[in-house]
Amino acid sequence: MIEQISGLREDAEKEIRLAQNKSELNAVRVKYLGKAGLLTQVLRGMREVSPEMRPKIGALVNEVRDSLEALFKEEESKFENLEMQQELSKSAIDITEPSKNSQRGALHPLSRVYETLIDTCVGLGFQVVDGPEVELDYYNFEALNVPKNHPARDMQDTFFVSDNILLRSQTSSVQARIMQKLKPPFKIISPGRVYRNDSDSTHSPVFHQLEGLVIDENVSMADLKAMLTALMRKTFGEETQIRFRPSFFPFTEPSVEVDVTCPICHGSGCRICKGTGFMELLGAGIVNPKVLEMGGIDSKKYRGFAFGFGVDRVAMVKDGIGDIRSMFRNDIRFLKQMK
Amino acid sequence: MKVTYKWLKDFVDIDDTPEKLADRLTEAGFEVEELIYQNSHLHDVKVGRIEKITKHPSADKLQICDVNLGESRAQIITAATNVFEGAVVPVSLPGADLVNGIKIQKSKLRGVDSEGMFCSGEELGIDDSYIDGASVDGILILPESFTLGEDIDKALGLDDVIYDINITPNRPDCMSVVGIAREVCAIYGKPFKVPNLSYKTSAEKVEDYLSVERKSEACLRYMAAVVKDVKIEKSPDFIRRRLFAVGIKAINTIVDLTNYVLIEMGQPMHAFDKSKIGGGKIVVRQANKGERLEVLNHNSYELSSDDLVIADSDKAMVIAGVIGGMDSAISASTKDAVIEAAVFDLKSVRLTSRRVGVRTDSSARFEKGVCFVSAEQGMNRFLSLIYELKLGTIVSGVIDEYTSKPKQREISCSCKQIWDILGLEIPQMDILKILTGLGLECKLENGVIRAYVPFMREDLENEYDLAEEVIRIYGYSAYDKLQTRLFENSVVTEGKLDDRTKLERKIKNSLVASGYYEVLNYSLCPPDICEKLNITDNRRFMIKIANPISEEISHLRSTMAHSLLTSIAYNISVGNKELSIFEAGRTYQPKQLPLTELPTETNFIGLASTEKDFYEFKGAVLNAVEQTGVKYSLLRSKQTYLHPGRSADVVDENENVVATFGQIHPLVAKNYDLPKQTMYGEINLDLLLPYLEKHFMVKPVSKFPIVERDLAIVVKEEIANSDLIAAIKSACGKLFYEVKLFDIYRSQSLGEGVKSLAYNIKLSDENKTLTDQEVTDVMARVIKALKFRYGASLR
Repeated sequence: MIEQISGLREDAEKEIRLAQNKSELNAVRVKYLGKAGLLTQVLRGMREVSPEMRPKIGALVNEVRDSLEALFKEEESKFENLEMQQELSKSAIDITEPSKNSQRGALHPLSRVYETLIDTCVGLGFQVVDGPEVELDYYNFEALNVPKNHPARDMQDTFFVSDNILLRSQTSSVQARIMQKLKPPFKIISPGRVYRNDSDSTHSPVFHQLEGLVIDENVSMADLKAMLTALMRKTFGEETQIRFRPSFFPFTEPSVEVDVTCPICHGSGCRICKGTGFMELLGAGIVNPKVLEMGGIDSKKYRGFAFGFGVDRVAMVKDGIGDIRSMFRNDIRFLKQMK
Repeated sequence: MKVTYKWLKDFVDIDDTPEKLADRLTEAGFEVEELIYQNSHLHDVKVGRIEKITKHPSADKLQICDVNLGESRAQIITAATNVFEGAVVPVSLPGADLVNGIKIQKSKLRGVDSEGMFCSGEELGIDDSYIDGASVDGILILPESFTLGEDIDKALGLDDVIYDINITPNRPDCMSVVGIAREVCAIYGKPFKVPNLSYKTSAEKVEDYLSVERKSEACLRYMAAVVKDVKIEKSPDFIRRRLFAVGIKAINTIVDLTNYVLIEMGQPMHAFDKSKIGGGKIVVRQANKGERLEVLNHNSYELSSDDLVIADSDKAMVIAGVIGGMDSAISASTKDAVIEAAVFDLKSVRLTSRRVGVRTDSSARFEKGVCFVSAEQGMNRFLSLIYELKLGTIVSGVIDEYTSKPKQREISCSCKQIWDILGLEIPQMDILKILTGLGLECKLENGVIRAYVPFMREDLENEYDLAEEVIRIYGYSAYDKLQTRLFENSVVTEGKLDDRTKLERKIKNSLVASGYYEVLNYSLCPPDICEKLNITDNRRFMIKIANPISEEISHLRSTMAHSLLTSIAYNISVGNKELSIFEAGRTYQPKQLPLTELPTETNFIGLASTEKDFYEFKGAVLNAVEQTGVKYSLLRSKQTYLHPGRSADVVDENENVVATFGQIHPLVAKNYDLPKQTMYGEINLDLLLPYLEKHFMVKPVSKFPIVERDLAIVVKEEIANSDLIAAIKSACGKLFYEVKLFDIYRSQSLGEGVKSLAYNIKLSDENKTLTDQEVTDVMARVIKALKFRYGASLR
């Protein structure tokens, strides 16, 4: 009987391995382990076995049944896996078809540069303030030490609405407004749109500036340099250097033009920077004490520095845009490149 | 402002090369915009004499010339007809590269060798005002005294270097050779060589010849001198050459001298023919209204009482500081001249120059500011040149009329103040040296500087001005290697975005996520946009720019719609038919016209699309609006530029229209040449600002299951989904959890003018599991309500 059981075991194991699929495997299971299965029948024949042998035979049958069950499970999971694989590969889709939710658009290059500049300044302790674009002559000029009929008015071609109201030619117009509003010490930046009566491939009648103003008891040109270096490095990369050149603005004294290492050639000289390795990007200086006084700030106690620059130009330099007019042309083929 | 290297050298010894000097001037704040070598196109051109002329064997119009170049000879073939044996001429030799682009090389003309070319005045860049014969149509015949073989630039004195310098408005004193020369002195630490200002006079007294009455305070100083028996002729070479170099045409001795002094000293001068001054009296007065004057540019101007004139006893002779009259001008027949050096109020000159539209070298200087002492320096320089060049007899005395002499300004500040401004400790002795070099009389005691400012430096008022003088001469390169910790001496301040920027960023990012591209338009527009946009409300009243560049950008936009629709139209015109765009910007609404106070500026985000349908577009707008915490409802839009049946206003609880969107009105589509189904919308950022932050009060989530029921009804087309949803919601009462429209169905079998809507309704109770009976009751109430209020039937 023991031989018979071993024979069944061997036969069953062979047939399990030969099964080609789940149903064949199931047939083998029924054949051996089913209610009328061969192994079950062996148990039925136990009556003929001597009582002393019965426990032995019983244990053997149970062992064979368990081992066969394990084998069935193993084979079965193999088939299930296989079926799953087949199912998965059958249900594969073309992942390169377009997504169904709408595709993203993009911000204008100007907005992206503004974000970098503004966030950097906010990180350095500046608060963002806003001012009107249609402005009183007083804030755009007089409060900035440019009286009516002053020769410095020739530096900018201004659009006028009336004798007294104009389209601001510089975001510096926010300076006097903010001095009347905030108590020093403070640091502000003011981004915004400005207007000049000028139009060609490098000048647009409408463009954008960022103005910065710091008022404290003890700021100097050296702080101005450190501040602008930090801002320009965040904008153009950590190797960026800046340098000062003398200039004139009625509202700062001393006044400087600020050159930034050419972001294209990193200072070695190229076509864009006309071989100088630098680009003139900003105007800056120590706030003229007359401007502080007109803004109601004690110029004996406080000193300030201010800077301002065209953000369109920074965006153009950063993104390799040659003509300022393409910034305003809004050709979708241009805008799609900013994705 | 143009000055020349040689002219500067009259006043300061310069050891540097012209290029290096240009760099140093730029570094000191006098940007050299152009450095021009007069002889850059004169190399390989020499003085030669035609020794012999023979006929060309095979060309009637050509002649073969044997040319003596001093140490060598050359054979040159010419077609010129004004040459002759013995003529001294400019000869361009192989290698020459003339102003007109002609490059000279050896050539054969009809089989005969030619080793160069004779030059006309034009080919050398000069005309008759520079040297006689330079304007003739032919070869320039030079004086016989010229040295054969000499380089032409040396022979003609065309070997100077010209600096075109950008003078900033704070430095009118540097609109002169001496002004720049003083800067050069400071830069190099060299002494200033004072020009000769002395002369001798005859015994006669100027008062016997002339009187001056200064009737207007717009004239701060009026000086007049008389020169008798003036020689009106061609000016000496050095005067004509220098005037030529700085772009002024030589005319005659007296006129040239006024210009020479103007450029050299920065003092505008004027000369009258004394015999033309009626009554022998000069009156400086405001013009009479309507008074006319014919001036040197051959125009006649009508003057107003705002204009200052120099008149004689009865008529205006000069528009003061701007331009002289024809009548009283110096001419070949002038015998005695009256010389004027004056100082006028800069605003007066500026306004008159603008009003009559005449800008001259004089007005350019006066309107920037000519200082009080400049007049006497200019006058002295002029008279010393008259004396030196023997151009006339100077009558004794100069008439000098003024209100008061200015006081010399004194600035006192410590070196520490300068250091604190600059953030740099420049040695005290350097500070002293620089300021002294700039012409300030300085004393340094215990670290305190007392500086007396020369009259021409009216721009210097305080320690900030001195700090700038010091650093620009010391050199801004001092900052190049300076390492300063950022804000090491300042108070820490909190950085923050303003609310508008925060809101604008949220909404922009939402629109980008919805597939929209940001555009940027001018906020300026043509006058007729409201007609094109079918806008009839207050937005028709737009702010007009008084001095626009063109009509296309002559007004401030009162709506974003024009900008967005124009961008769409542009893209369609270049073949980009499918696009979705947005723009953040302002509109401008006057409170009254003409403007007497600042207008209302409103921040908007406008959007437009040719590719999205109404509901996709609506999704983009509402997703953007829902970046804020606003509670809103949708109403049919009243915007006349939108399709009345396909547009909506997004209205907040205070009945403010925070956004508008929809298909554009067919008329607008036609006016802008756009597809009919173009969508436009705008979001009012300012009205959404109060809702910038979202606030949540969270309710606990029910522990009991949600029951779902679907309901399909048939209603008339005009019944709005939102009304049906509101009815469902109210019928469900407390058990309402959510309702969703999941299908819309129209068909012939349903019938004309009706639609079937299918809703998925979710019910829930916070406290218990709903029974079947409760659900059935609620659904019955819903169906009843829909039937009763909207005539809905079950499908």
